[in-house]
Amino acid sequence: MNNSKFLISILMMVFAGNAMAADSTMGSFASVIGQVSASIDGFFKENLYGFVEIVFYSVPVGEANFPLIVGWLLLAAIIFTLYFGFVQIRKAKLSIDIVRGKYTDPNSNDVGEVSHFQALATALSGTVGLGNIAGVGVALAIGGPGATFWMILCGLLGMASKFCECTLGVKYRTILPSGAVSGGPMYYLRDGMAEIGFAGLGKVLAVGFALMCILGSFGGGNMFQANQAHAMLTYAFDVPAEYGLLTGLVLAALVFSVIIGGMPSIAAVTEKVVPWMAVIYVGMSLVVIIAHVDQIGAAFNAIFEGAFTGAGVVGGFIGALIQGLKRATFSNEAGVGSAAIAHSAAKTKEPVTEGLVSLLEPFIDTVVICTMTALVITIAGLNTAPFDGAGLTGVTLTAASFTDTSEIFKYMLAFVVILFAFSTMISWSYYGLKAWTFLFGESKSVEMLFKIIFCVFVVVGATIQFGAVIDFSDAAIFAMSIFNIIGLYFLMPIVKRELNKFVAKIDSGEIKKFD
Amino acid sequence: MNESVECEIKLERSLIQDGPKFLSHKLIVTDRVAYLKPTISSMLFCFVYIVVGMFLISLASYVLLQSQKLDLAIFIGGFGIAIGTFGVSLIQPFLQRASFDKHSGVFNNKRDRDVKIKHIVSLQINNKVVIRKQALSYRCFELNMLTKNGRRINILNHNNAVQLELDARKLAKFLTVPLLDLRREIVL
Repeated sequence: MNNSKFLISILMMVFAGNAMAADSTMGSFASVIGQVSASIDGFFKENLYGFVEIVFYSVPVGEANFPLIVGWLLLAAIIFTLYFGFVQIRKAKLSIDIVRGKYTDPNSNDVGEVSHFQALATALSGTVGLGNIAGVGVALAIGGPGATFWMILCGLLGMASKFCECTLGVKYRTILPSGAVSGGPMYYLRDGMAEIGFAGLGKVLAVGFALMCILGSFGGGNMFQANQAHAMLTYAFDVPAEYGLLTGLVLAALVFSVIIGGMPSIAAVTEKVVPWMAVIYVGMSLVVIIAHVDQIGAAFNAIFEGAFTGAGVVGGFIGALIQGLKRATFSNEAGVGSAAIAHSAAKTKEPVTEGLVSLLEPFIDTVVICTMTALVITIAGLNTAPFDGAGLTGVTLTAASFTDTSEIFKYMLAFVVILFAFSTMISWSYYGLKAWTFLFGESKSVEMLFKIIFCVFVVVGATIQFGAVIDFSDAAIFAMSIFNIIGLYFLMPIVKRELNKFVAKIDSGEIKKFD
Repeated sequence: MNESVECEIKLERSLIQDGPKFLSHKLIVTDRVAYLKPTISSMLFCFVYIVVGMFLISLASYVLLQSQKLDLAIFIGGFGIAIGTFGVSLIQPFLQRASFDKHSGVFNNKRDRDVKIKHIVSLQINNKVVIRKQALSYRCFELNMLTKNGRRINILNHNNAVQLELDARKLAKFLTVPLLDLRREIVL
């Protein structure tokens, strides 16, 4: 509780102090916003940049500085892939069959049953978002087209990480007296580790994860989304950057009504609309790719060449690899642990089925959708060497690449980006709240405090115009993986047992297949 | 027609899959009429959408008049109309008051076909867990009624168990029908 009071007082100081100071010296709205923006950025630089530097601690590899956290995630994905015997390939058909409902009794019509397809669609709507649009824009602007190859590789390997964490998320979930289902890394780190005799370490990891998850929910899951939503409006309609305050207020009001109001129809609408946004985005990408079908070969050439030569990239191919891996992780969240929170609410008797369904997410998210974005950007040819991020980057690079084919895409993309940003904020408010209540307990006042702070950060994210906050957003999400992956190493034998047990049940006919 | 087919009405099952995470209505009983009154908090959450929608429509008009940016005005205005309309559609069910009127002898919820009060057989309290993938799951409760024709109609649906029990008892007394508490343990 003291932590939350501390946070609020910081926010109040930042807003009140700096806004008033700016008001007295400059009259115009733009200047005030500029001042507030600079103050917030300064605050993040002075007080939290140490955290960013720790998370992204780098060692020189060739000409590039290689962040250890990127290696940490890649190594984990490789280890899980080997340990589960390439589960993403061997069990791909089983995963698809589960999603298609082939292991669900067609006569079962339990009220409230969420089908695996629905579960996947909902989880995808939380995963597919600005990471696929803005994230790929950043990756290619700094890592060149070659970053795409490393993104795809990271997506394929990340499938095993996601399988592992989502299985554990369901297995160690808790049903609270309120009827709420609580699950995710906090619970499997605490309870799962205790089960195998590492209760102390488990608690430390769980608390560490929860803290990082809260920061991640304010950063990548909130400020980054609001910031990029307004950046998109600036690009598409020339809305001045300082009017981000208005974008932030509107988004915050809508987020407020969903997370504080608990209006069921709104949540239902969000859950229904967002998969369609993904369909629209994929449709747009396909139109661009098909319209330039003759350039696909050249685009893939650039991707493969760039992956190993790193031409024009700071740090050469290592530089491309770093950007590819970073943005892929940011997009598909494999190994980060956030998906395990979402999947833990699924209605299933077999935890491993949820793990198998979830492993399709990095494939769809990164291997399919991110590659489409990368192809659109590469085909448009607006991203040219040197790849130092000085020109178009992030959502503006992606938008400009789409607009290169047709002006209408600019507007469609603005629509899609805003809805994606909104739905991602809703998802991350849930992740953050789960972590918050894990640390501070379940009570209305504790929950309300988190929700109010979350809404404030929406406004902050849309208003600020500088990079430190974005760096912080990145760092917080990556930091979650430090605690999560340590636990996954300890708990992966449990997942393997669950998988073997499930497969044995299918083989013996205990679990029937319905055609 | 096979008249020996037995038909069983499962009263334990909830009627609506969803439900609000707040107290949406309270029962008000007067001498001859009982009606459902929406709570202020439920109305406020709907108003957020109407206010945001109106704000965006006004902003779109301002943009159009001041800067002549037609595309931006359409974009903002479109969002405003969508959000505002959504707010209006949300608030409508709250404004339509379901009532049990002993003068006319009917139950009217402005949604289903009217039911004669004398045809109401019993009231049931049901529980459920509203499962959300991107938000907290929560418990929710229904007050349903059974008619002598076998129809089941929802009367109340919210997550305040204490208020729902209170209202259910008041309504059962008003209608002079039995109240069945059919809440069950839900295993997820």
